[in-house]
Amino acid sequence: MSFDYSSLLAFIIFGVTIGVVYGIVALGISLIYSGLDIVHFAHGEMYMFGAFFGLVLAHNVGVPYPIALIGAMVLTALLGMAVERVFYRRLTRAGGGYTVAGMGMIICGFGMSVALVNVAYFIWGAEAEPFRANLDYIPRLSFPGDIEVPESYVLTAIISVALMAALHYFLRHTKTGLAVRAVAHNKDIAYLMGINVPLMISLIFGLACALAAAAGVLIGPMQSVQVEMGYLMLMKAFAAAVVGGFGSLPGAILGGVMVGVFENLGAAYISPSHKDIYAFLLLILVLMFKPSGLLGVEAKVKA
Amino acid sequence: MLQINDVHAGYGNLKILRGVNMQVPTGGIVTLLGGNGTGKSTLLKAVSGLIPLMEGEVLFDGVAISKMKPHERMRLGLVQVTQAKEAYPAMTVEENLVLGAYTRRDRARTLADLERVFEFFPVLRERRKQLSGTLSGGEVQMLVIGRGLMAKPKMLMLDEPSAALAPKVVLEIFANINRIAKTGVTILVVEQNVRMALILAQYGYIIRDGVIMMEGEAKKLISDPAVKESFLGGSVANTAKALRN
Repeated sequence: MSFDYSSLLAFIIFGVTIGVVYGIVALGISLIYSGLDIVHFAHGEMYMFGAFFGLVLAHNVGVPYPIALIGAMVLTALLGMAVERVFYRRLTRAGGGYTVAGMGMIICGFGMSVALVNVAYFIWGAEAEPFRANLDYIPRLSFPGDIEVPESYVLTAIISVALMAALHYFLRHTKTGLAVRAVAHNKDIAYLMGINVPLMISLIFGLACALAAAAGVLIGPMQSVQVEMGYLMLMKAFAAAVVGGFGSLPGAILGGVMVGVFENLGAAYISPSHKDIYAFLLLILVLMFKPSGLLGVEAKVKA
Repeated sequence: MLQINDVHAGYGNLKILRGVNMQVPTGGIVTLLGGNGTGKSTLLKAVSGLIPLMEGEVLFDGVAISKMKPHERMRLGLVQVTQAKEAYPAMTVEENLVLGAYTRRDRARTLADLERVFEFFPVLRERRKQLSGTLSGGEVQMLVIGRGLMAKPKMLMLDEPSAALAPKVVLEIFANINRIAKTGVTILVVEQNVRMALILAQYGYIIRDGVIMMEGEAKKLISDPAVKESFLGGSVANTAKALRN
């Protein structure tokens, strides 16, 4: 039997599509890490809340899918900013990263994750809800060799790339983006430049949560929406962020795509029942040969 | 312009400044001299708002600013030039300068000021698209001063502009600080390079162990043997004296 190249191509296409979604969640985690020096362990729940917000907007309120996507991003950004302001600010003000307060922040993130899952459970219950989106106006893509890419995957790829481009433009070509980068590098100097640092931190958190929400709404029509979905996404996004190099934004995308492709190929050619293991296999491989990640810089140590 | 009254400040429970009094008159150049670990940088941080005061108050232009956030003080025109190593290395020279003008909304005037900074420091124009991490020590020092100028300051506070630079470069930088002062910007220079700073400034303060030990007109301080002694430290000065006898 000769090797089936067209199905290999299909696995790669699906892997890349799901991978860019891991990538945009990882992008948020990296953004928070570089901006606040904390690893946000409740980010998976922001993704889950984003998916539910999108679901409620699309099914209960009845707005079209793109509006639901934007609405979910805005709502989740507000939720994230509120959580940061009320619960995290005290800890991050005492110093994140490698300080004692940074350790407290990790525990606080885990606690927030459990709390948010329970809040969601209380509101929406434990059942997985299908996300039915009317996507007929999106063309199906056909590739040579009888590969058909469903609408939701096409849409996901388009929106993810658009979000990344928008974020890149914001950070590189606007004054506020410049201020965000300044805050990420050193908060004291940013203060001396007259930048309202606490406001920028809220903005960073809001952006990161909006990205997670977008991922949630995009994944919704492919899988179903349920309360426990955040956990696995967080792990995959972490794997993606570490593979790409923690704190590096292009690295987050690259890591996401690699994790997506790797797990799809693993599921196809090794064993589909262990799909979720391959991301971590890749993680271990990368850490063995390049501990700082593929696009990572030297570990950022702050005094 | 700047009045520092009985300021106590430090980090956590560690008190570094123990009652500092200083005045910087409008349009003047004042220098604050002291060795490592005497409280110079702590004082700058307390004035610019990066650390809170434990006691005392700071007035700028007659306004009490002790309770203001750092970015609010900066908007009043009180601008701290960071140490040279604190440029943003991953940003280009131009981005660093634009960041200095972050609080300003008047685009045309900001562009004019960018030109002015390039006139002061022509080498920055040549390097404008270069990452600031690739500049030499002197060039980075020019960059942070230029970045401070972009904020349209009433008063500039400079943190050791001569640190780790060759004498010739120090001379060039100090000449530029003097030119900046001539344009009407009040200046406070924190320095370890006693001679250069006292030649530049009109008035000097000497800080040691968190208190002002000595102050006076720069002309007088420069020839005062006690100044030299306070920097060499008692024991070294005594040894030098003993050797001569």
